[in-house]
Amino acid sequence: MGEDFNTDSMLDMFLYESEQLLETLENTVLEKKDEECFDEQSINEIFRVMHTIKGSSGIMMYENITKVSHKLEDVFYYLRESHPENVPHLELVDHVLEVSDFVTGELEKIKSGDTPDGDESKLVDEIDKFLTKIKTGISQKGDELPPENTYVEPSQFYIAPTESESSKYYKVSIYWRDDTQMCNIRAYTAVYALKEVAEDLQYIPDDIISNEESSDVILEDGFHMLIQCQCSKDDIISAIGETSGMDRVEVNDCSRQEFELGFHEHDEQPIIIELEDKDKEPEKKPVKKEPTPGDYVIKNKEAGKSKKLAKNQPKQQPKQTYISVNVEKLDSLMDMIGELVISEATVLQNPDLKVPGLELSNFQKSASQLSKITTELQDVIMSMRMMPLTNTFQKMNRIVFDVSRKLGKDIELEVIGENTEVDKNIIEHISDPLMHLVRNSVDHGIESKEDRLAAGKNPKGKITLEAKNEGGKVYIIVRDDGKGLNKQALYDKAKKNGLIGNRAMSEFTEKEIYQFITFAGFSTKEQVTEYSGRGVGMDVVVKNIQAVGGNLEIDSVEGGGSEMTMKIPLTLAIINGIVMQVGNSTFVIETNDIKEFVRVSKDMLVKEPDGEEYIMLREECYPFIRLNRRYHLDESKAEIEDGIVVVLEHENKNVCVFIDQLIAEQEIVVKPIPPYIKKVQGLSGCTQLGDGSIALILDIAGLIAGEEKK
Amino acid sequence: MSEELDLMNDELNEIDDSQKGMFMTFQIADECYGIAITFVQEIVGIQSITAVPEIEDYIKGLINIRGKIIPVIDVRVRLKQAPREYTDRTCIIVIDVKSTTVGLIVDEIAGVITVNEKEIILPPSLSQSNSGNSKYVFGLARVENEVKLLLDPEKLIRDEDVDALEDNAPAGEIAEA
Repeated sequence: MGEDFNTDSMLDMFLYESEQLLETLENTVLEKKDEECFDEQSINEIFRVMHTIKGSSGIMMYENITKVSHKLEDVFYYLRESHPENVPHLELVDHVLEVSDFVTGELEKIKSGDTPDGDESKLVDEIDKFLTKIKTGISQKGDELPPENTYVEPSQFYIAPTESESSKYYKVSIYWRDDTQMCNIRAYTAVYALKEVAEDLQYIPDDIISNEESSDVILEDGFHMLIQCQCSKDDIISAIGETSGMDRVEVNDCSRQEFELGFHEHDEQPIIIELEDKDKEPEKKPVKKEPTPGDYVIKNKEAGKSKKLAKNQPKQQPKQTYISVNVEKLDSLMDMIGELVISEATVLQNPDLKVPGLELSNFQKSASQLSKITTELQDVIMSMRMMPLTNTFQKMNRIVFDVSRKLGKDIELEVIGENTEVDKNIIEHISDPLMHLVRNSVDHGIESKEDRLAAGKNPKGKITLEAKNEGGKVYIIVRDDGKGLNKQALYDKAKKNGLIGNRAMSEFTEKEIYQFITFAGFSTKEQVTEYSGRGVGMDVVVKNIQAVGGNLEIDSVEGGGSEMTMKIPLTLAIINGIVMQVGNSTFVIETNDIKEFVRVSKDMLVKEPDGEEYIMLREECYPFIRLNRRYHLDESKAEIEDGIVVVLEHENKNVCVFIDQLIAEQEIVVKPIPPYIKKVQGLSGCTQLGDGSIALILDIAGLIAGEEKK
Repeated sequence: MSEELDLMNDELNEIDDSQKGMFMTFQIADECYGIAITFVQEIVGIQSITAVPEIEDYIKGLINIRGKIIPVIDVRVRLKQAPREYTDRTCIIVIDVKSTTVGLIVDEIAGVITVNEKEIILPPSLSQSNSGNSKYVFGLARVENEVKLLLDPEKLIRDEDVDALEDNAPAGEIAEA
């Protein structure tokens, strides 16, 4: 017993738990990546995750994971306890993501039964260096290097040269011309220039680095600084003078009191947090604060920072609790419920009840109650397979972050409707195409910063990821405000690559031209990058989307951005179908594929000498398939006037199918044909009808393909 | 008939580790065949079978057992016997071979027998060439003066269909997706 220690279940637990933790970690990090630094909550979160992973990987004896997570834990321990300033945030984010990638990679190895042998030393070294860097960053500022695991007093954001009695005080206002871009950056250049000469310096708006909108404020109200220095007005003007695009600079004397008051009177932004912070601002000397254990409120932030944090503080959503259930169990539950519904029908419509004169009012009451419950039960089981898109969308966050950084683009990702629920199977199938679309948007869609500035756009690109439910379908939209698609370029390229023959551009609609990018072997990007541009992407994307019964629509405004819309069904498990009969067999065709039903007279049937038949319908000629002949079904109708012709449309191809009769339209649960039976062309699955009998689901694409082959 | 079935299924349920050497026997034409009971899941009466076009003649189609859709094989046709009408004695033995669930249509269920492993005689090699049945038969057992032909269910359902099965594997995945 003792020797037979079950590591398998422990391993499963470890893998599952670690994966979950890493997911949380990544989400937390990406959520905060645009901030100036991590807030207390996320620092604690990351610390906790690393601590747990360290512990559990230690138990499982995966040393490299333990070492890496331990190192990162150290960093966050330090951050948590010492609140250092000037932590290079992006670098830190990088480190966290690197660790997350490393651990994920090792977990992958463990999962596939390999030994996790990734070399952690490089990563550990890097993080070590980083840790030393942020620690010494503090010590340079005169603070003591905090020993591990001790509380350290907070440090100041910027420390100006020492004060002296002979200091002069000035108020400096800078105004830029109306058409100037990125005033905040220009203002910062001025601040930077003045820092050289100033002993102390305050400015408003004070969030010029973190808040791009401050640029507009500066344009309107100008940029104001209070400066304490030894130099003259001219010195100040000459120091600022290097900044371009400036309209005028005003330098006025002011008193020490005014300086210490700061921008109190001038402050036009009625934000209370900021005002409160401002009160403390005049005493710019290091304030000794005794941090108390558990006191995780962020200290000594710039006013702008705390304002931003307050604004971006995520609303604490009530955590949903989940358990993971084997999909097989869900499937068998679904089968059982299907069976229950059928049993219910056999009980409620039992021939024994049909005795004339039987009083059944109580029975009927109970029966209707039963029906209600079973219907609800069916709805519940269907909803159990549905999952929100949240996780899928969060992964995109990471992709946008990684790719945009590598390409040197500044891109913001907006996510809308991430709680939209979709069948689990579908989620698995759209994850890759979605990733591709997002990458494309980052890589091809959004222009470089310079191009954006030249086009008069916000230098920060924006990608919107939206999901919504509409008419039984889920729309997933990837929208960017990049350069859009160039119709002429698309057309030329398609023609050059021989994808469209010799047709003139005017023969295509706008949307058709956009669809060119989904053709195999098409890529408008001349240069192949690491992420996209090989031209194999979009056709695969489209194939994947089609595999789950969806389609991709492309819309674009040249210079204004593109919009890719994936339309996918809510679930694969249920389709709306028309049940029909041919001979003794029952077939189902998806309602969406059916264009119309017609009764056809003999004279509409065209017969070729080789036996091939066509139907002339409203001056158009359609290929004609007799299902009974195609599948050799006996006892079916031979005369065309006795049966019904169904006109089907699939990918702009039409075909007429001859059947005996229609039975009903209903929602059907799609089940695979048991793999034991070899694949029959034209059949995509089977389903159980209300009476327990089985119907075969016709696959139009296969049917057409089979016909073309002949 | 259905009472008999219930009895039989009860018996199936009771069988546990001691299944070794137990065979479910059934009648096809004049012969009595046996199949190791470990493969047998349950026995159901004949029910409506949905034909699937363009498949092998011995696969009769699909049946629905409590929401599970499984293919059924007519053992008669598989053993190259003349087909005959299904009667109320006709049964479907649901077997599970390496996670493939298949129903076997047999003329009549005979019962469960226990055969000592030593008593199983290998089929005479001579018969292999002239009788189509023998490739599915892995042994003979004499019980109460009657010879039972013991079938290898794996060969019965696969054998030459291996290729078809492999072709089918990806198709199955797609359908499941």
